[in-house]
Amino acid sequence: MSEVTIYIDGQEYRVPANTNLVDVAKFYADNDIPVFCYHPKMAPVGMCRMCLVKMGSVEKNRETGEVVTDENGNPKIRWFPKLQTACTQTVYDGLAIITNSEEVQVARDDIIEFILTSHPLDCPICDKGGECPLQNLTMRHGPGQSVFYYEDKMHLDKHVPLGELIYLDRERCIQCARCTRFCDELVGDDVLAFHERGRRLQIVTISDPPFDTKFSGNTTDICPVGALTTADFRFGARPWELKEVPSLDPYGPEGANISLSTRLDRDAGGRIVIKRVMPRQNEYVNEIWISDKTRFGHHHTRSDERLTKPLIRQNGQLAEASWEEAYQVITDRLRAAKSLGVIAGPNQSNEDLWELKQLASHVENHHLGVFPATMSGGDIVNTVGVGVGTNFLDLKKGDVIVVVASDLEEEAPIWYLRTKVARDRGVKLVLLNARPTKLSKYAKYNLTYAYGDAVSAINSLISAVIGAGKINDEILSRVDGYDELAKSVKKPAYTNFTEAAEAIGDAQNMIVLAGSEGLTLAQQRELMQACANLLIVTGHVGRPNNGLIPVWHGANIQGAYDLGFTAEATEAIYQESLDVVLVAGCNPVGEVVEAEALQNANFVVVTSLFETETTAIADVVLPRQSFAERDGTFTSGERRVQRFYTAQGVIGESLPDWRIFAEIHYRLGGPKPKLSAGAVMAEINKAVPSYAEMRYKKLAEMPRQFPDVGGEDLYYGGTAYQNRGGIGQQTPTVAEDPEARLSVRPVEAMTPKFDGLVVIPTTLLYDRGVLFRRSTLMHQRIPAPHIVINPEDAEAQGITDGDTVAIVVEGHRYEVQVKIDKTLPRGAVLMPRRLSNRPDPSVPTVLESIEKIVQPVPVTEG
Amino acid sequence: MLQDEKYQEQIQRIFAKYPDKRSAVMPLLYLAQEAYGWLPEEALDEVAELCDIDPTQVKSIAGFYTMYRETPKGKYWLQVCTDLPCALRGADQFYEELKAYLEVEEGGTTEDGLFTVEHVMCLAACDRAPMLQCNFHYMENLDMDKMRAWIEERRAEAREKEQKS
Amino acid sequence: MENILLRNRTIPEIGTFETYLEHGGWEAFKKAFSMSPDEVIQEVLNSNLRGRGGAGFSTGRKWSFIPKDAERKYVVVNADESEPGTFKDRELLEFNAQQVIEGAMIAAYAIQATAVYIYFRGEFWDIAHNFEQEIAKAREANLIGQNILGGDWSCEFYTHLGAGAYICGEESAMLNSLQGLLGQPRVKPPFPVMKGGGLYYEPTVVNNVETLANVPWIIVNGADAYRAIGTPESPGPKIFCLSGHIAKAGNYEIPLGTTFRELLYDLAGGPQHEGKGFKALLPSGASGPVIPLTEDMMDTPMTYESLVELGSVLGSASFIVMEEGTDMVWAAYKMAQFFKHESCGKCTPCREGTYWLNQLMTRIISGQGTMRDLEILENAATQMQGKSLCALGEFATSPILGTLKHYRAEFEAYVNGEKQKELPASKTVAVAH
Repeated sequence: MSEVTIYIDGQEYRVPANTNLVDVAKFYADNDIPVFCYHPKMAPVGMCRMCLVKMGSVEKNRETGEVVTDENGNPKIRWFPKLQTACTQTVYDGLAIITNSEEVQVARDDIIEFILTSHPLDCPICDKGGECPLQNLTMRHGPGQSVFYYEDKMHLDKHVPLGELIYLDRERCIQCARCTRFCDELVGDDVLAFHERGRRLQIVTISDPPFDTKFSGNTTDICPVGALTTADFRFGARPWELKEVPSLDPYGPEGANISLSTRLDRDAGGRIVIKRVMPRQNEYVNEIWISDKTRFGHHHTRSDERLTKPLIRQNGQLAEASWEEAYQVITDRLRAAKSLGVIAGPNQSNEDLWELKQLASHVENHHLGVFPATMSGGDIVNTVGVGVGTNFLDLKKGDVIVVVASDLEEEAPIWYLRTKVARDRGVKLVLLNARPTKLSKYAKYNLTYAYGDAVSAINSLISAVIGAGKINDEILSRVDGYDELAKSVKKPAYTNFTEAAEAIGDAQNMIVLAGSEGLTLAQQRELMQACANLLIVTGHVGRPNNGLIPVWHGANIQGAYDLGFTAEATEAIYQESLDVVLVAGCNPVGEVVEAEALQNANFVVVTSLFETETTAIADVVLPRQSFAERDGTFTSGERRVQRFYTAQGVIGESLPDWRIFAEIHYRLGGPKPKLSAGAVMAEINKAVPSYAEMRYKKLAEMPRQFPDVGGEDLYYGGTAYQNRGGIGQQTPTVAEDPEARLSVRPVEAMTPKFDGLVVIPTTLLYDRGVLFRRSTLMHQRIPAPHIVINPEDAEAQGITDGDTVAIVVEGHRYEVQVKIDKTLPRGAVLMPRRLSNRPDPSVPTVLESIEKIVQPVPVTEG
Repeated sequence: MLQDEKYQEQIQRIFAKYPDKRSAVMPLLYLAQEAYGWLPEEALDEVAELCDIDPTQVKSIAGFYTMYRETPKGKYWLQVCTDLPCALRGADQFYEELKAYLEVEEGGTTEDGLFTVEHVMCLAACDRAPMLQCNFHYMENLDMDKMRAWIEERRAEAREKEQKS
Repeated sequence: MENILLRNRTIPEIGTFETYLEHGGWEAFKKAFSMSPDEVIQEVLNSNLRGRGGAGFSTGRKWSFIPKDAERKYVVVNADESEPGTFKDRELLEFNAQQVIEGAMIAAYAIQATAVYIYFRGEFWDIAHNFEQEIAKAREANLIGQNILGGDWSCEFYTHLGAGAYICGEESAMLNSLQGLLGQPRVKPPFPVMKGGGLYYEPTVVNNVETLANVPWIIVNGADAYRAIGTPESPGPKIFCLSGHIAKAGNYEIPLGTTFRELLYDLAGGPQHEGKGFKALLPSGASGPVIPLTEDMMDTPMTYESLVELGSVLGSASFIVMEEGTDMVWAAYKMAQFFKHESCGKCTPCREGTYWLNQLMTRIISGQGTMRDLEILENAATQMQGKSLCALGEFATSPILGTLKHYRAEFEAYVNGEKQKELPASKTVAVAH
């Protein structure tokens, strides 16, 4: 990066070119230029005028380009007559500013005074009080007394719900437009706007549902006053009572860094509990954004329904027991086990998985499965995943992001957001899907394939790349199998991909995000290989900002693959009648029809937070700890291993999964359980080569981040962005070793031919999963069980939008609502997962029947 | 309402003017206002649908400008300019007398629903003060005699129409 | 002097295409079309035509800033005439439409624009609809549209109606409004002429109606002839709008450099009411400081420069005239109301400041004010200066500070309890603690 020289208050600084003056002054000169409207993640607008500084340019000799100096040897500066806004200024060589003159101080005082004349001073009851930029800046710049000696504030509504999640206090709003710009410009959900003008400007939403975005909570973070607050935290605690604990999103594959704000709470029986979830800055992962699921989905951690004691089945009933009794029953049974299937849930930590694997190895015939088993190819990710140091923010104009078989907004909202913002910077988005998704409108190329045909689509893309002569010759010397691959794609199924192929061939960097929508597990694995083929032959592997990102359905599926668990093993467990099954932290029986087969196991052990359909068939149920009560690591889809820390007190007698498995293993003759999760990781460091460097200490390293939006600064004045938990570390890919050979392999499209309508299971962000449904605040956002169908198909079936119908899939009957979507291809019936309390089909399945339910007329009693 | 056949040609002509859909929001709001008489939420929704933006954005535009009616108005929406140039030529007094004659307060509508009266900022007709804008058409060089006559004509028309129906 | 701009005064039907053609209409465009775009720009540059919207920036220079290689370029005609006391563009648009259209098309040719948009203030509803018909006639004659005059260049001409917002007269706010965004000003740079700053973020020339109405004459008669009118720094004819206490209110097309006396007495017949003298003048609508009209300044020639020397600005040359006996505090109060109503709310000093100026003026004029309020009033206005995002915030302070400077005693009469005005209940404000 090129550097320029700038002058701040007479001091000379070398700073990166083309960066924002406010960011630079803070980072390089420790000079907090005060701002309200400016936000380092958004384009400057120069509205609040708080950042006024004296600005000028150093005079340079026109011929020599040398800086002209005065008699004291200081550079001569030509100043603007008026003060200028710093936030709208990009640094250039010779830029000079003064921030500490009386003129500047007076200007700041003036602006603060103006803002305060219409801001209520209700700080004692304001959620923002204590971490409020306006409060902080008033302390620093505000005049001790206002010249406006009489009160004439506007009195406006103080409790305006912008939907059920966010409340607006109209009096407190200082019209900085951070919230509207965040929604409109960054996320692309234009659901907030100003109404009226002048001093009557106020935030409104009339979207349906109100404030319709999956990122609404972020507006409360960036609000520089207490105008926007969450229904979750409102009047919940004062910021200075809160202890911030670094943690991770327990739901998604993105590895979003969060901070759990905790407090000893009387309402929670004097225990330490989570009062709110805030984003924690990690520029590599989620910057400072989190989805509303991550923010508002934490209530399971302290739910009254949590399991508190081990349960053992006696006379057909589960009855409370001690841990020793439970261990006894389990070890007795495992000693005699002929075969063992373990199914690891989506947020089993790496430490849990490791101990689970050690335990399973006690039984020779064992399978290590992962849940949900929607997609595969973790090993492929370890070969051609994104290079170490990858950051979506580094993708530039002309680079390419490919998204295939995924509705990214629903499945990985942070990647959706970062992809969308990258596209705004000029990154070309290539979308391959069987139906339009919310990302479609941002895509440069929308390539459509028939459901199930994703592999053909990628093959066609490879074919077009070859046709356009855009194969990376340099890399071919280390690639095996290229000729066969080239031969296999000679007759592409889709012939209109040329332009997209050229963009891919010309891109300096390319990331492929691969999902699983509409694919069987086997098809999905082939898709991963096809994506690897594409990345390899175009040379987009083995370096930062290039490679494959799997859109896993869970926080630590990548970790599971890294430690030897697979979705294929899960399928095997469903299919084979195994003697003993151990289900760790998930609810397969309640979620997928195939898992009904687990009932046939002779002995079932389940670790769980709650009673579920799976615990209902268990012989022993063990209360596990949630992510908030323990520490550990998750590995994101970008293979970033990150730590989460213990935030709240233990619920009942629950234990972390790793500990449970280690205790059982110990009783079977295994080693003594480790004393900490860190000690377990030390074992992994030794045993798993790609995790050799993933030591806890290293994962906790915290380099300074630019722009600096954490800490007690004047951008936010909050504490929760600050990252004290480390930014984690990516595991290296095989492709990064220049000596390593890379293989490409022809993959056959295994497009199934269905007759009639096919049910396509899809994944929505908000569902009735075991953990998320405990957050009652979010219930209005969880759709009713429904199917989505093309209008022509609907007409043919005699059904219309809003009907309730009964559908039968593989003998299972579901009552669902009908939603019509004209953008959906014919023949496909989308059926989102986990919306009902019944297990869903997990792969595309023929729809056996569909019939409209005539609602029975309710009989009035009496 | 904007889906009605009779608006389609106009809508197409509006969209043809601009390289992007969003630019059509202001002319479409005028059209919706013509169709509904004012801008109820369903009108905002229809404009939003046409422009491919959220209704919130349409509401924002409707609220920023003074010529969009976010509340229903009388059949004749009288906007009297009382800015300094007009006021120097008697506009303030004219406005007060007009309100008194119609027996309405600032922004009020007469009971018969015929007249809404409010004052507005400069309408660029200072040389013909006092003046007002009635449903986007100017009435200039006014005095109360002229106004009274005009008002009574409108009332007579309305009565006549009522009797007929 | 014959009218160059208000030709409708002598040829009533000049605004229609047919009559305009009969009187040499569109000859300028055809002449420009025979020149290279650069030559056209050079001619306008040489004429030293300065923008008539208020800022007085060189029109030719503005055109010359448009990057030649830009794929899309626009001309936007600013017909959002909203400054109190200004109605010059209205007369041109209403009665001399073709000349404005021709001027805009010459500008479009000079920068090789993709399209021209004319942004009418919404209240010009009838005028705009008539104007559209005149555009259609020029289009039929192949002066607008595809392959103009059989050449390679194509350029459409569209109308757009605002909907009641003074701020949309500010060029970047106007561009936002045209794009269907909130009509609030943008941060500058980038300026409209630059990539990223114009309509749809493409390079754009924004010119005032009156400015463009000058252009055909310049092309036909040449820059030298144009510079012979008016003064060297401020050449050309200028329309002055006279309103308020003046015998003959209306538009006056006169060369820059005409004296106050010639305009106010000789042409406009002196004060409105017999026996009264002039007291003061707001020379640029609401946006410039007040000038006391005294006998010894009556012979000053009116130019962009001389008004600055008088402590004010020529701006849009919309003269709001006030006779002896006019309550200057009330006049300032009217202006404060205007700016409070029209502040778009985007930047803090203007949003809060215009509100406070209005509150304080209301207190003072209703007899609730004290000396301290006078102090705060001055303070608040000063506090706003030099800090706003666009010029509106700056303009809002002028009538207050200017009036305070010249007529402080009148303010003091109010705060000393000697005077007060009955205001409607809705206009009163909170009382001091």
